[in-house]
Amino acid sequence: MKITEFDIKISAENVCKMIDADKSGELYEEIVEELEEMLPEAYEKIHPAAVFEFGALDEDMEAISGAGGEEALYGICSVGKDISQWSTQLFAEGDYLGGMLADAIADDYLFQMDEALRNIVPQMCRERGKGIMRRLEAPQDISMKIQKTAFEVTHAEKEIGLKIKESYMYDPVKSICQVYVLCDDTEMNRYDHDCSRCENYACKMRKTNVVLKQGEKEQIIKVQKNKNLLDALRESDIFISAVCAGRGTCGKCRVKILKGESVPSEEDKKFFSEKELAEGYRLACRFYPEEPCEIQIPEDEEGFLVLAEQKEKDMEVSENLEYGIAADIGTTTIAMQLIELETGKIADVYTCINKQRSYGADVISRINASNQGKGEELQRLIQKNLTEGIRYFTRNKPVHIKRMVIGANTTMVHLLMGYSCSTLGVYPFEPVNIHTISAPYSELTGEKEFDFPVMICPGISVYVGGDITAGLYAMDFDKREKVSVLIDLGTNGEMAVGNKEKIMVASMAAGPVFEGGNIQCGLGSVPGAICKVEIRDGKIKAETIGDEKAKGICGTGVVDTVYELLKEEIIDETGHMEEAFFEDGFLLDSRENIRFCQKDVREIQLAKSAVRSGLETLVTRYGVSYEDLDRIYIAGGFGCQLDIHKAVGIGMFPEECEEKIAAVGNSCLSGAVRCLTEKNAVEVMEKLVGNAEEVPLSKDGKFQELFMENICF
Amino acid sequence: MELIQEISEFLQKGRAKNVKALVQQALDENIDPKKILNEGLLAGMMIIGTKFKNDEVFVPEVLVAARAMNAGLAVLEPKLVEVGNEPVGKAVIGTVQGDLHDIGKNLVVMMLKGAGFEIHDLGVDVEASAYINKAEEVGADVICMSALLTTTMPKMQECIDLLKQKNLRDKYIVMVGGAPVNEAFAEQIGADYYTPDAATAAETAQKAVLERRAK
Repeated sequence: MKITEFDIKISAENVCKMIDADKSGELYEEIVEELEEMLPEAYEKIHPAAVFEFGALDEDMEAISGAGGEEALYGICSVGKDISQWSTQLFAEGDYLGGMLADAIADDYLFQMDEALRNIVPQMCRERGKGIMRRLEAPQDISMKIQKTAFEVTHAEKEIGLKIKESYMYDPVKSICQVYVLCDDTEMNRYDHDCSRCENYACKMRKTNVVLKQGEKEQIIKVQKNKNLLDALRESDIFISAVCAGRGTCGKCRVKILKGESVPSEEDKKFFSEKELAEGYRLACRFYPEEPCEIQIPEDEEGFLVLAEQKEKDMEVSENLEYGIAADIGTTTIAMQLIELETGKIADVYTCINKQRSYGADVISRINASNQGKGEELQRLIQKNLTEGIRYFTRNKPVHIKRMVIGANTTMVHLLMGYSCSTLGVYPFEPVNIHTISAPYSELTGEKEFDFPVMICPGISVYVGGDITAGLYAMDFDKREKVSVLIDLGTNGEMAVGNKEKIMVASMAAGPVFEGGNIQCGLGSVPGAICKVEIRDGKIKAETIGDEKAKGICGTGVVDTVYELLKEEIIDETGHMEEAFFEDGFLLDSRENIRFCQKDVREIQLAKSAVRSGLETLVTRYGVSYEDLDRIYIAGGFGCQLDIHKAVGIGMFPEECEEKIAAVGNSCLSGAVRCLTEKNAVEVMEKLVGNAEEVPLSKDGKFQELFMENICF
Repeated sequence: MELIQEISEFLQKGRAKNVKALVQQALDENIDPKKILNEGLLAGMMIIGTKFKNDEVFVPEVLVAARAMNAGLAVLEPKLVEVGNEPVGKAVIGTVQGDLHDIGKNLVVMMLKGAGFEIHDLGVDVEASAYINKAEEVGADVICMSALLTTTMPKMQECIDLLKQKNLRDKYIVMVGGAPVNEAFAEQIGADYYTPDAATAAETAQKAVLERRAK
């Protein structure tokens, strides 16, 4: 079998890697530019050809492959001689960079041919009733003589004009030999080159086997040289928390090396104690596996408390009824409900962590990731999240799903739709599309089996998205006479003040503090997170979610802690911690060494001031006073668990409003549910958007002034 | 000499155009071409080579620096011939018979040039006798052999044996290199030096030639 058609694009990234051109290096851009210029000519000089033929096992092979194999598949891939000659010529002319690039281009093309054959070769074997037991490579697995056998079996000279030297080297030089030992088990498919057997340690493409242990589960991933473990995990669809998106600043992507060595990085030294380092704790984003190793990674954050009203008792999904799906795509978590359309009852609930989380905790880091070419990857992840939810709902029996409504912030919508995020992160913060979106699910995600229509709620601005519109709808802001407030305190804080006539909205960069981000021992709302703190008679009482052994502090625990420390006068009104705690922080749990530090106080000061000042600015701009407000609704999981009295105590909300504050749970999801069952929902939501006006706080002088004032306690 | 210093610095940054222009300017100012070569171009390459060995710069930096050197040399060479400049040494180099790999060998050529050598590059698939014939013809100091395959490594031995046979072994410094080659192998076949990378190869060749001259 001969293949000469390959649809291969040279990867600039790979080529640069092969010649050691690092992205951070000064020459990187120049090199990429030069490479781009060379490419058209390079494609003309590459003449790809691959030949494959089945043949008997060679005697050397019998000795090493052991029992089972009887037949072999021999193959040779080549890119022809022109590209190598070009490299030689460029060198001779003194264009060393060009010469080196031409050589690396040829190598990349060869590697990619190997990749392109990944499906074809096993298919050929299956058709012959065979599986691949092992791939052999000369000279590490077998003597170079095998190249001659492959040459003869494939008739490479006649088929693709290849020549062979006495040394068994092929001419053209950019040719590789593939030999597979076959077996009768058609399910077996060991197509890949096995780097662990290969002696080419200098190879830039070398991959290391890393054994991952996650609770009971164990699996092996291959990590390419010079790639950190966090990136490698993401590529294998394994997600661990990385609030800072791999910059080495959050200390959240902790892993433990069970077998293997790694010199701790500067960042490791910052986040781990001597003891922890000795035990093998490292940050995944700073760990570059070079030797086979065994790593323990944290278990999925499945315990994450995602706020969604649970299904009603004794509800059974029936094949005879029609259903709708309401989804809230949050930056951190995703909540979905299966709704019985006739009654509006919750038939099933699915919640999960947003898989994009390993690209950073907040929308800004997702926007950055998207702008750096990860857009498709982020889109794929969110699609995967949603499809997994739908599969969950249909896990037992087919469900007649009529429609779906999604509420999400503007960035999440952009990432889901595959829009460019390049205008979201910079002034004047223009969205690509913020209107109501209607499309079949199959079109949105490429999942052909689900073709029900989907509606995505319209947003108000880049920073006040469809999730808030849904929330306003859920809280009847289209009917309210008296002015009320809706505050969503998630990774980003959004706020709306208004009634049926007019609504003013704003967003504030509260930071991820309310979700445990940027706090030294911070943690999401997962079992083991300290969520309530009380200090009485000098004794600390800390409650954790699920009553488990303390692992960290979540948002509500942070608010409680600050309140208690203020009460005990360990923190003064400027936020300064007493000197005794300045160095090591305040110990909340001595057994698990969970501390609350000066820096954590500063973080909460910034966040609570942003909320308070935002509210005050909006209320003032609306032309009312706190007294005029009817209700203040706090949406989101954080709001639900929050001790309102303590939040008022640290100045997050005005004292005079304490009685008006009520937690309303996941108002976005409630809004999406109502959309499923109410007729003119789209119309009402669009009216809400029409009534809304955004107040840009970052440019508001009043806000800036208040922000400085409200920093203190 | 500020101009010479500038040449070296532009060279290290890989700015071929600047190097070319400055070499021309230096010639116009009647600066000794040997001085331009040794204190400008070669000194710059020496710094880059050392930095490469110390992991301060990587392959791309060396490539563009060498390219800049080459641009400067193109202007300088006719003048060097005129004044009768003697190279540091003469090297015959090639990849051994049966082996077609040339990228590693090309990098060594580049670095040897940067160390002031006159190069006679025989290319790839070079027979043992061809190295010797060329070396005799040009009066070389060094013979450099490269092999990338375990099956072609023995060809290095063949060349050394042939040198011995012809009673020429002590006349030449024999250096070997390539992925499967190591110090022990070099010793076993009776080569003078094994070097693991191109920068070390150039440095070693230069040192060896100077030592031999001093004797």
